[in-house]
Amino acid sequence: MISKVLIANRGEIALRILRACRSLGLDAVVAYSEADRDSLPVQLADEAICIGPADAKRSYLSTPAVISAAVVTGCDAIHPGYGFLSEDEGFAEVVRAHDLTFIGPSPEVLDRFASKEATRRLLGEHGLPTIPGSRGMLRDDQHALDEADRIGYPVLIKPSAGGGGKGMRMVRTSRELESAIKICRSEARAAFGDDSLYLEKWLEDNRHIEVQVAVDSFGNGVHLFERDCSVQRRHQKILEESPAPSLSPAARTQLCETAVRAVVAAGYENVGTLEFLVDANGDAYFIEINCRIQVEHPVTEMLTGVDLVATQIRLAAGQPLDLRQADIVARGHVIEFRINAEDPEHDFRPGAGIVSAYHAPGGPGVRMDSHLYDGYEVPPYYDSLLGKLIVWGPDRQTAIARSRVALDELVVDGLTTNVAIHRALLQNEAFLEGQMTTNLLDRVGSAAFLAAATRASG
Amino acid sequence: MPDQSRRRSDPRAPGERTVDIAAIDHIADELLPALIAKLGATNLGEIEIREGDWRLRLRRPASGTTNYGRRSSDRASRSQPGHEGHGHAPAALESHRGASATAPTNGADAPSMAAVGPGRSAEGRTDGSDDRSVATSPAVGVFQPAATAVAGARVQSGDRLGVVEVLGVPHEVLAPADGVVAATLVEGGHAVEYGQELVRIDLATSEATA
Repeated sequence: MISKVLIANRGEIALRILRACRSLGLDAVVAYSEADRDSLPVQLADEAICIGPADAKRSYLSTPAVISAAVVTGCDAIHPGYGFLSEDEGFAEVVRAHDLTFIGPSPEVLDRFASKEATRRLLGEHGLPTIPGSRGMLRDDQHALDEADRIGYPVLIKPSAGGGGKGMRMVRTSRELESAIKICRSEARAAFGDDSLYLEKWLEDNRHIEVQVAVDSFGNGVHLFERDCSVQRRHQKILEESPAPSLSPAARTQLCETAVRAVVAAGYENVGTLEFLVDANGDAYFIEINCRIQVEHPVTEMLTGVDLVATQIRLAAGQPLDLRQADIVARGHVIEFRINAEDPEHDFRPGAGIVSAYHAPGGPGVRMDSHLYDGYEVPPYYDSLLGKLIVWGPDRQTAIARSRVALDELVVDGLTTNVAIHRALLQNEAFLEGQMTTNLLDRVGSAAFLAAATRASG
Repeated sequence: MPDQSRRRSDPRAPGERTVDIAAIDHIADELLPALIAKLGATNLGEIEIREGDWRLRLRRPASGTTNYGRRSSDRASRSQPGHEGHGHAPAALESHRGASATAPTNGADAPSMAAVGPGRSAEGRTDGSDDRSVATSPAVGVFQPAATAVAGARVQSGDRLGVVEVLGVPHEVLAPADGVVAATLVEGGHAVEYGQELVRIDLATSEATA
């Protein structure tokens, strides 16, 4: 049973979780750092509690602070959101030791899927095609060189922990490999406190497609279709959509059904996302699983009408899945734009400061998940996500037309945002034809991409 | 950051100190390396153990699973409006489980390793005037004032005014300045949040300290 939830996160996702709790009739407490005292989730919450200073290590990442806040406010569950402690099995274990419910998979499940390399092997055994890669973690340079020779260049160096593109490098030669490994190790160590690396075969012109699943603790699982997250900048997603334009209906059904069968067989629980790379031949390879709610979950919510955060809470409370596969219907087309405080003209330098004016777009099929308000001061300590604009249309063309209108309506004054890159994407031929691959932006560089779009529209 | 004022006023006999020094050696040579290894092997951000009268807490300096926390400097100069300033009364924070639910601690007088104490514990802030200072909570937990933290009591900067128990582990609340306790703002056993005002101190005037 869950009756009162501590929201151990910030920004738009804290607000999203607060809304889900309220719609389920649950009480919620927003835990916040000193830097977020004036944030929208704190202002809108019935109850909020300051858990530490701006430094996330002493607030949002501090296990004792988060759990103490839950205990003293009488919460019986903790929602970790994404990032921070959301996939930390050690945290999930301590949460359970205090008789609280972790809203996410159990510590055992998190532990089983903690290593990306081991997960790839596990799900491979359960029938998922996996990308060729190194066997185990890279022990040293010689091991890396041997494994890269066996897999065949180009290869992608990846850290076992974490995400967000840190510690990742694609290399084409053995000479590049040796120097890149050093860089990746130090990046991974700094970002995740863990410098174990592995190799993956690099697929040229690949697409990034992920499958959303929900699995209860009784072994019932459903998929909620896929999201195409190919539009990335240096391995960071900036636009997601569903259905994936490149998949035929048959390929789509096969990918989604194979994915959910494999995770149920491997003992996964709660909501999760399986990420795949799809090569130019249309072959999909499993790369990793995300054991949390994802930034781009609204794409699926708009497509299917299913509230994924509410589903996550119900599953964590031990309830059986109230959805059958046949009930889940994908309607129309959805595109999500991540609105970041980043300057596309200056290498996406992140910004902070006061939002002097904010206006969220509206109209049919338009949803804005954002924690901004007029006069809000974006603190410099956390990530640069200001919100997500999610646009639905009966088909992709209509969704794109509505997206152009919505992006034009959006006002975020006082900060530089990445909206220009989204406008440019909506002018780009490859994107408009649904031909985008993960190198769409990086191949030409963002500056050239912006300039080309300006010429095309001007 | 060993606390100078504590050391100055250490009332213990030399024999007790020798025992403490032996305990510190044991902690540094044997427990600490084992604890570092344990922390390294897990994803925990923090581990704490008790050994006799001592407790040892180890925090991971740079943990994190995401790109959050790009900058880690605290904005110390930021003004801190009172808790009531944003729409929820302190009463809402009262513990539903009560202080009795927290684990017993190892005594009010147990030595604690100052180096692992919360960084803010000796901090306070003036509340708009030059003659007052306020000790704030170093953590989110349950406040237990010291018996000596009563109105009228004279305190020196760094004196212990009480503890905030975080899951049963005491975090010291230290006097931010020399002066006289004006008021204890939170009753013992009540839940407090990080940075909450706990004890108000009227600063000692220059004549009083001279």
